[in-house]
Amino acid sequence: MKVNNRFLLLSVLIFACFLLVACASQASDSETDKKKDSLVLAIGSEPTDGFDPTTGWGRYGSPLFQSTLLTLDRNFNVQPDLAVDYSVSEDGLEWTVKIRDDVKFSDGEPLTIEDVIFTFETAKNSQSVVDLQNLKKIEKLDAQTVKFVLERPQSTFLYTLTMLGIVPKHAYSENYRENPIGSGPYKLVQWDKGQQLIVEENPYYYGKKSPFKKLTFLFLSQDAAFLAAKAGQVDIVSVPPNLAKESISGMKLIALDSVDNRGIMLPFVKPGYDAEKGIEIGHEVTSDLAIRKALNIGIDRDKLVEDVLEGFGTPAFSVADKLPWWNEETVFEDGDIEAAEQILMDAGWRKNADGIFEKDGEKASFTLVYPASDQTRQSLAIAFKQMAKEIGIEVNTEGKSWSEIEEVMHSTPVVMGWGSHDPIEIYHLYHSKYRGQGYSNANYYSNKKVDQYMDQAIHAITPEEANEYWKKAQWDGETGFSALGDAPWVWLVNLQHLYFVNEHLNIGEQKIQPHGHGWPITEFIADWTWEE
Amino acid sequence: MQLLNIGKFILLRTLKFAILLFAVVLFSFILVSFSPVDPIQSYLGAEMMVVSEEQKERLAEYFGVDESKTQQFLNWLNMFLHGDLGTSLLYRQEVIAVIQERFLASFVLMAISWIISGIFGYALGVIAGMNKGTMIDKAIKSFCFILASTPAFWIGILLLIVFSLWLGWFPIGLSLPIGMLAEEVTVWDWLKHIILPALTLSIIGVSNITLHTRQKVMDVLESEFIRFARSKGEEGFRLFARHGLRNTLFPAISVHFASFGELFGGAILAEQVFSYPGLGQAIVQAGMNSDVPLLLGIVVFSTLFVFIGNLLADLLYYLIDVRMKNGETI
Repeated sequence: MKVNNRFLLLSVLIFACFLLVACASQASDSETDKKKDSLVLAIGSEPTDGFDPTTGWGRYGSPLFQSTLLTLDRNFNVQPDLAVDYSVSEDGLEWTVKIRDDVKFSDGEPLTIEDVIFTFETAKNSQSVVDLQNLKKIEKLDAQTVKFVLERPQSTFLYTLTMLGIVPKHAYSENYRENPIGSGPYKLVQWDKGQQLIVEENPYYYGKKSPFKKLTFLFLSQDAAFLAAKAGQVDIVSVPPNLAKESISGMKLIALDSVDNRGIMLPFVKPGYDAEKGIEIGHEVTSDLAIRKALNIGIDRDKLVEDVLEGFGTPAFSVADKLPWWNEETVFEDGDIEAAEQILMDAGWRKNADGIFEKDGEKASFTLVYPASDQTRQSLAIAFKQMAKEIGIEVNTEGKSWSEIEEVMHSTPVVMGWGSHDPIEIYHLYHSKYRGQGYSNANYYSNKKVDQYMDQAIHAITPEEANEYWKKAQWDGETGFSALGDAPWVWLVNLQHLYFVNEHLNIGEQKIQPHGHGWPITEFIADWTWEE
Repeated sequence: MQLLNIGKFILLRTLKFAILLFAVVLFSFILVSFSPVDPIQSYLGAEMMVVSEEQKERLAEYFGVDESKTQQFLNWLNMFLHGDLGTSLLYRQEVIAVIQERFLASFVLMAISWIISGIFGYALGVIAGMNKGTMIDKAIKSFCFILASTPAFWIGILLLIVFSLWLGWFPIGLSLPIGMLAEEVTVWDWLKHIILPALTLSIIGVSNITLHTRQKVMDVLESEFIRFARSKGEEGFRLFARHGLRNTLFPAISVHFASFGELFGGAILAEQVFSYPGLGQAIVQAGMNSDVPLLLGIVVFSTLFVFIGNLLADLLYYLIDVRMKNGETI
């Protein structure tokens, strides 16, 4: 019986271990009573490449550890931050920025103009998402002033100034991405890779202080994050729409509007071959303006929001809904099948026996491609197909991988999604000089007048002036790239970003959220409050 | 003499390993190159439209994806032969550094579950084998069959829901307490976090070893020397301890070593469910984002890991065999 006893003993020992640990865990749970000056957030994926702004950290808004020269307020008005003042030369090539002299990094060292220059130079030379190819050189004018010289005028350089967090020259090294030091509201205390990020308030921060001295960001899988919220361990958790119908006791659902849009890109030109790029382009049916207009007006966007997004979204009429450079006139009454049919009839299309429009023997029919991995886009494609059929246009849907889509996107309609806080996106999407350049203007849209407006927007000195031209490019009363004009896209919906938030936590009003879900929510953390 | 044989054996195995490694790496590379994920698209995400074509070309150069697939593979191979695994695109860090960071966590997790499943699996196997045909045997057998066909992540989620959500005994994921600084973390905290993932992993590992041991025990019990011992009046676990233990323990251990592959596969799933920061989590990230250097690096590493497990298993068999040849059977 010796062996038997040994096994028994071992089993008992292991079991005892489990029990002990279980008890210990219960004991410590009661100690971690929520204090209202710290928060636990499970809002998004881990920035695996670290917290270095020169390689892209913080481009969605708040860099948290660093601060930017300028910021955009909730209405996207430019506000000073590190900068006290900025000016642009008449030709739009020289940007002069004057900075505060009282700012310190979280290690106590002062932030100087050298740090600003260092940051921009490092970012320009980093192979990353930060694109400073247009920045020719940077000159120091005096201890507080710097001049950026551009290769070509670019009014959207302003948005670069609002996104690029300033890093300290004296404390920058290869390991900066893991140990960021900056002049932002928080400083990094501990990063347990793959798990969590612990931050505490920066004692030297010059701006408005948040009531929350310590934040813990958890990098959990979606299911685990939801379970953690159910177990009462987090204060904010981001959720996909399918979980939003659930309820979590002690938490409220918050749905934030966004420009995280989805739309259908329609090939704009007649079928052909771009010899220079070596690609098939254009589509016989979608190159007809009447087809594009009919689809735009016949699709019921509210129904798409209701059916596909379960109500968590808003209808989309452009790539930049509700942003300052958005032309409000581009909104119209949609879901109008009669009007859609009328447009097609006027253009010479006639319905055949199957109820599908035909013209000169050509059927109003095309294939719509969507990335097979994205369920929302698949559902949108299928709903779009049904709605198009009601108008009398036949749509066949097909799921493909992105690399397959890249091969056909110049000649086949595709479900795509964009939504940035930088209007340069419009420029890359619609300007004829970007035709066929990768994903930029993949449908070969071109309109001289629109090009001209967008060039004027890029050359503008003030954001107000630029926005006027961005709006005109959409619709100037006669032409434009919106559905009122050439309609190269059918914009469908903007997704809402969903969060469960502790009942006591008030996160105030938020900006229209950009394409990325998660980190942007921390932008106005200084205004968050805890209400008992 | 025996040592020489082992040396030859290891040499032969190493050669085999080199060929195997090449095949695995080549196959993985071909698979990733069919992946629908474009690394640049994945890296830029929604920023695709705010980044100019010029910058995208520079990125392609930095990512090394502007060359043909064959050239990319040759580049990687060349680097690998010089002992360099390259830089992870996702982590902007040396691949070897990422693996080092992650391996310890995975190793601890796998070691604990391997030991637990070994002990429990063997014990259950012996109990079942000794009680062949009884209710206990049937119960253990069905338990193993059910486990063998149950996915690890499902067991993980089940354990999470029961022990973390309902009972609140264990934390939900991670390897340390939420918001706690490293210096405050105690051994208890650490244990508390590793138990559920380790349990998930060991539950999966149990059935293989139990069924093997059960069979072996039954075989041994039917052999001549057991019958002889029985005729002398020995019985029960005393009989087993004297004549069966060594005869079944070694095969069990070697079977258990051979299960390193499943252990690694299970760890990937368990780490995903419990947000446990090991190699499994990193390889999933690498795959989802077409981070080829990191993916291949982990593939090399895990192949080595599984190879060592199998080598140890074979070595054990070999040792047992040699002893049997020399007539050292118990």
